[in-house]
Amino acid sequence: MPIFPNLKNSDELSALFYRLFVVIFICIGLSFLSEAFLTVNNLLNVLRQASLLFLMASGLTLVILTAGIDLSVGANVGMSACLAGTVLLATGSTTLGFLTGICCGALIGLANGLLVTLLRLPSFIATYGMLWILHGITYYFMAGATINGFSKSFRMIGSGYWFGIPVPIYMMLFFLISGSIFLRYTIFGQQIYALGANPVTARLSGVPVTRRLLLVYILSGITAGLASLVFLARLNSAEGDIGEALTLPAIAAVLIGGTSLFGGVGTMLGTLIGALILTLVLNGMNILSIDGNLQALVTGVIIIVSVLLDLILRRKSVV
Amino acid sequence: MKPILELKNISKNFPGIKALDQVSFSIIPGEVHMLLGENGAGKSTLMKILCGAYQADAGELYYQGEQIEIHSPSDAKKFGIAVIFQEFSLVPYLNIAQNIFLGREFSGWIPGTIDHSKMHAEARRLLDSLSVEYDTHTLVHTLGVAQQQMVEIAKALSQNAKILVMDEPTAALSDRETTLLFEMIHKLKAQGVAIVYISHRMAEVFSMGDRISVLRDGQYVGSADPQKTTPDELVQMMVGRTVDMVYQKNFVSKPGAIALRVENLCSSNGIRDIHLEVRCGEIVGLAGLVGSGRTEVARAIFGADPVTSGRVEVFGNDRVGEPFHSVELGLSLIPENRKSEGLALIRTVEENIVLAGLKKLFPSNWIRLSRSEQVANDLITRLRIATPSGKRPALVLSGGNQQKIVIGKWLSTESKIFIFDEPTRGIDVGSKSEIFSLIYKLVQDGAAVLLISSELSEIVRVCDRVYVMREGTISGELSGDLINEANVLKLGMADV
Amino acid sequence: MSNIHILSKNLGYRNYFQRIPGVAMMLMVGIFFFGILSKDFLSVSNLTNIGLQSSILLLISLPMTLVIMTEGIDMSIGALLTFCGVVMAYTLSVTHSLPIAICLAMCSGLLVGLINGSIIVYWKLPPFVVTLGTLGICQSLALVVTDGQSITDVGEIVQLAYNGKVGGVAIPLIFSVIAYFITYFLLYQTRFGIYVCAIGGNRESLNLAGVSTNFYHLAVYAFSGLMAGVASILLTARMSAGHPTAAIGMEFDAIAAVVVGGTSFEKGNGWLLGTLLGVLTVGVLRNGLNLLGVPSSVQVASIGLLVLVALLIDSMKMKS
Repeated sequence: MPIFPNLKNSDELSALFYRLFVVIFICIGLSFLSEAFLTVNNLLNVLRQASLLFLMASGLTLVILTAGIDLSVGANVGMSACLAGTVLLATGSTTLGFLTGICCGALIGLANGLLVTLLRLPSFIATYGMLWILHGITYYFMAGATINGFSKSFRMIGSGYWFGIPVPIYMMLFFLISGSIFLRYTIFGQQIYALGANPVTARLSGVPVTRRLLLVYILSGITAGLASLVFLARLNSAEGDIGEALTLPAIAAVLIGGTSLFGGVGTMLGTLIGALILTLVLNGMNILSIDGNLQALVTGVIIIVSVLLDLILRRKSVV
Repeated sequence: MKPILELKNISKNFPGIKALDQVSFSIIPGEVHMLLGENGAGKSTLMKILCGAYQADAGELYYQGEQIEIHSPSDAKKFGIAVIFQEFSLVPYLNIAQNIFLGREFSGWIPGTIDHSKMHAEARRLLDSLSVEYDTHTLVHTLGVAQQQMVEIAKALSQNAKILVMDEPTAALSDRETTLLFEMIHKLKAQGVAIVYISHRMAEVFSMGDRISVLRDGQYVGSADPQKTTPDELVQMMVGRTVDMVYQKNFVSKPGAIALRVENLCSSNGIRDIHLEVRCGEIVGLAGLVGSGRTEVARAIFGADPVTSGRVEVFGNDRVGEPFHSVELGLSLIPENRKSEGLALIRTVEENIVLAGLKKLFPSNWIRLSRSEQVANDLITRLRIATPSGKRPALVLSGGNQQKIVIGKWLSTESKIFIFDEPTRGIDVGSKSEIFSLIYKLVQDGAAVLLISSELSEIVRVCDRVYVMREGTISGELSGDLINEANVLKLGMADV
Repeated sequence: MSNIHILSKNLGYRNYFQRIPGVAMMLMVGIFFFGILSKDFLSVSNLTNIGLQSSILLLISLPMTLVIMTEGIDMSIGALLTFCGVVMAYTLSVTHSLPIAICLAMCSGLLVGLINGSIIVYWKLPPFVVTLGTLGICQSLALVVTDGQSITDVGEIVQLAYNGKVGGVAIPLIFSVIAYFITYFLLYQTRFGIYVCAIGGNRESLNLAGVSTNFYHLAVYAFSGLMAGVASILLTARMSAGHPTAAIGMEFDAIAAVVVGGTSFEKGNGWLLGTLLGVLTVGVLRNGLNLLGVPSSVQVASIGLLVLVALLIDSMKMKS
């Protein structure tokens, strides 16, 4: 079973089961609280949203596994989407649009990685500065305009269906599987875990630290780039402030999923479940007509609670 | 003169080790009491008990004849005990006066404000009494280490220290600064301050000491009068002990080709002009006192610290850059701090064991779980690591077993050159002898071993050749019959 | 720590005063540059404008200096400022009482500051995560209270806080001066200031000296929150309304001002005057770019570049 070997002992297995239980609990709860929840439409919607969130969060998981963070993912999505959208409209080529989105994301990731490895800037500062720079460039580039009207074939990846299931869900499964395989079955994955668990030991054990850090930031950028394409396809439009509100939920998804901010612990499946939980909570809030403005609050509280729980568990196991 | 502080039958145990065993010690005002002992003799444990960082397990403390207890650093301060450690407790961006009076600032007429002029005046007075010239407004981070030490001493004195404990204070000082320090010590003596002075430099032991006490293996061996004793006598007191059967080496080394050659090595971590070589099939020791730079040499050879000049050759290949190159060349380092540098504690035994060997075991970058498990289980059995399975986190194993994991990690790389930095520190006797059996097996199979150890008995019984370090460079090389504890110690100390 | 490390440690003398030329130079270059490029820049009214607009930023940058000196950060201050402004506007629209509104705004700020500080100091969570969380919470709360709209029913009096003058001096300027001197006093004349420096520089030594370190550490964040409350008075006055996204992102300008001004994330090294100059530099940059018709988004990007440059210089200095 390719996904499960990430789990080395019963503790991690049970942690994942607890989270699955939370998902089920929320679903049951919501279906009692509102009849709108259990419809095929809504459920597919939830899955689609969660897929998009997971897409972003998957690369981010790698960064957080190394005890770093990438605060610029939302801005990355925004800029990549705008750039890709522009190229799509200008050239009419889906392929070029794809490439633009992915390359843009990758280059931003590379820039982040260089700031962290070459300049030795703490990741939260480097990516925070990058966030604003990207926002600025995106806003300027879009000059307040909105672009839309992409080709049907392109829009497939966001709003299309294959065999009755939305396309993004296939992408989510693909990334879940490939991400898990990467983490468990390649030496890069194991070295990333080691880097997060103890960077000093990792370096002294022959892990090429700079290369791996660059790798994770680039991968984070690439997944953001891909997410931007899906986003673009779904909304069928792009404007300057797209992606602004995506960073916090992406981080929340990773943390809820059991990845530790302090590095070395976490799984792709966990992040997926985390994305599901967050999406369900927000979806529930929508259905129950809770003020949409409270969403950021709820996300913020969830982040703090997750970090706190992680800290308590870590202290327990060390002591 | 009556002692100001007396320690009677103080004992302190750590898991598996008796750090202090019924040590009695008295400190007399106005006297410089030299404390000598090799690594692990118990000097720093004694210091920590004095300053309240540790509590003794048994024994009593008497202050001016009355029994007292010291439970914390503030208790120690109450009794006027101040310890100058190597790591200073100074705040870099505050000035000298602010540092001296940290936490005890003088209040101005508005409650909460600080009377700066009074603080600086007091600081000035303090520095003057020690003949120190620095402007009290200087920010501490701009001062050199020697100067910071002076500030530390001034800080201790401002708290009316009656007993000053100094650990190798002249290590960082130039000759001129050392002279200034000694003048200050004379002044302090005249003021009735008692000074406990730990040193490895024979010259100053004899020139500054009024009394000399020697510790060995946690026990108090005896005192000596500097006027009447000789350096050799002191060395004998520090060294003589019974033979330890742990290191039974019952084979003869057959040194082969040169595995590791180091020439003119200098590094930014402070070592200079290191020349050494290690051949296949031999165990070479790197001895010296704590702080002499042995770990730094290991780190520089391995690539953990930057090399500023010189070369490191591994089987004829130049080793350059980051540690991962060392690993590729077949060089291993088992570091001093196994928990923080040798292991990723939250990862499993298996994950730790295969970490360094990942590239060698899986050259295609794809991991086969079965192979990984097999290699790990193999090593767990071979090294007799006490764990029910390889899937348990490394955290839960004992010290000895953790050390075996670290060794196992390097065995999985099929390395041929091993640098061991204090491999048996803090490990129970049973595991100690297992680890040495392992080292012997490696050597007999043709590996080259560089062994750093603070235990003279280990070095002397295990090594075929010994390089001794002193203050950042190699002071000498011993081989054959010349390898004995006294010679190693002499080479490690200055002016013997 | 071994003797060897002592022997090899770089004893380079780092002149504290080397920092003056840095930010002052940038400020002067900015003034010079924009003075040439735009004829309106050097007019009295424009320069006064810069001063006025910078006052809010100064109020939140001053405590940010202290926070950064303790090796922490307050990402929530922009959102908190917005929230306090919203609280103030809401209270004004309901009670029409300026004193009550000011009181509530400051209390809200103080409360959130205390929450930030408690979680950071007593639960020992990393500052940027905690304040990131509080950022989201404050942002949300601001949106909830206003339901996404501006609250414009704030009355006439409050505007005076921004437009009024006392003895010929603009009120925001008075606020700035008072705030600066209070912070100056705290930092350089009281134990609090010394302990702030020590918390960042060598926290252990403070503990060993028997000082209740946690209390002072908490106070730093409380101060930050309180000043956000004070700054919200000026903010509400300037906009004559409470807007839910008014100061979102201003923490970025504040951090930029502090970092450009010479305070670094290293070991308790802080310079208050530098923050003042940094605030002016950011103000000049924004104003100048505005006059040149550069859109707000690019302005932000330029400030970002400014920060990265300052951090670069800082890390180079650290290495040498």
